[in-house]
Amino acid sequence: MSSAQPDDPDHAAALLALVATEQSRTAFSELFNYFAPRLKTYATRQFGNEQTAMDLVQETMTNVWNKAHLFKPDRGSASTWIFTIARNIRFDFLRKNKHRQHDLSADELWPVLAEQNDSLDDDYALDDDLLMQQLAGYCEVLPKAQRVVIELIYVEGKSQQEVADALGIPLGTVKSRTRLALQKLRELINSDD
Amino acid sequence: MIKFHPSEEHLFHYVTGDLSPAMLMMVGTHVDMCSQCQEQVREMEQLLANKMFGQEEVPEEFALSDASFDGDEMLARIMAQAPDRHEAPRLQQAANELILEGKRFQLPGTLARNQHRIGAWHKVVGKMWRASVDVGGDDVLTFIYMDKNTRVPEHTHKGREATMVINGVFNDETAEYRDGDFVFLDSTVKHTPETRDEDCLTLAALDAPMHFTSGLSRLLNPFSSLFFK
Ligand SMILES: [Zn+2]
Repeated sequence: MSSAQPDDPDHAAALLALVATEQSRTAFSELFNYFAPRLKTYATRQFGNEQTAMDLVQETMTNVWNKAHLFKPDRGSASTWIFTIARNIRFDFLRKNKHRQHDLSADELWPVLAEQNDSLDDDYALDDDLLMQQLAGYCEVLPKAQRVVIELIYVEGKSQQEVADALGIPLGTVKSRTRLALQKLRELINSDD
Repeated sequence: MIKFHPSEEHLFHYVTGDLSPAMLMMVGTHVDMCSQCQEQVREMEQLLANKMFGQEEVPEEFALSDASFDGDEMLARIMAQAPDRHEAPRLQQAANELILEGKRFQLPGTLARNQHRIGAWHKVVGKMWRASVDVGGDDVLTFIYMDKNTRVPEHTHKGREATMVINGVFNDETAEYRDGDFVFLDSTVKHTPETRDEDCLTLAALDAPMHFTSGLSRLLNPFSSLFFK
């Protein structure tokens, strides 16, 4: 056993990886023993109600057990990930306590436990029927200004904002170039069918 | 570049979830569009995580062995479940568009995930349209679409108004606002938003109806309740 504690970010991330890949009970117990009492401290102060606090601890740690594979070390530390899970659960508890089940929910606001698409900006992902290989050929046809934008977004996986920053042009211009280029590409692909 | 951002306080309360649903949507949409605020949100999350989990010693009354908290029992209960390997919901990728007057607008993630909450579009007056976004809570959240060369009658707010640009440009007396720009006005500010040679799709949160102040538009005041009910 190493002497590292789960408050060491690398160690916590390694424990989560073990839970994700091998459902390691030892790794999970170590995470639980560290995080659960601290969550309980937080939740008791938040709710002033022992039972609700315990429910929050249980729900948060259950998600850690079940969803460890959704933790992405490059997006933040393990403790931040667990914090965001607890934050979401608290938000939904408060909403349900107020009998506002139909109001905005935590998942709709912060999709902490949704599968992330790593390379593409979620909002601007290409239609599934536009395959990358096809794309490469078609891109040749685009005007240079549009091609550059498309390549940065869909090949290098930059967000539209990052492209705007990189090229020193307004975000609106990046958007209109993307829109025009995608329109053009769709037309080209459809005309090929 | 985005010039107008939510305050640090707004960002912080977005991170903790302690704003009205309408304001959470506003700030979340801005964060979707603004890499600078995304960075700040990440830092705040880390800060709060450190605060929550950083203590070396847990106070006695919260320790695992406390009579009221049988940690071992909970641990066993959780691990008794077979890990749930169901695919988590994928972030939806299609249908993130809003189509209005034949134009297509890409919706940032926060709005795209709540597309089912967007109501029908209504013409307000002239070339101005609105659709409310039903997120619950006491504030009102609404899209406003202004065609080019459109002006909103001069008005103040009894409460506060946050407006942000989803796509396009609008101006008021003091500045020009473009994609991602976020403005927060309180009841002391009069303003007259208008579009010039571009149209503009904005999202606004209000905690009280608008109050129109200029001559003719005072007659329109009943219209304010229609505008943001
Ligand atoms: Zn910002």
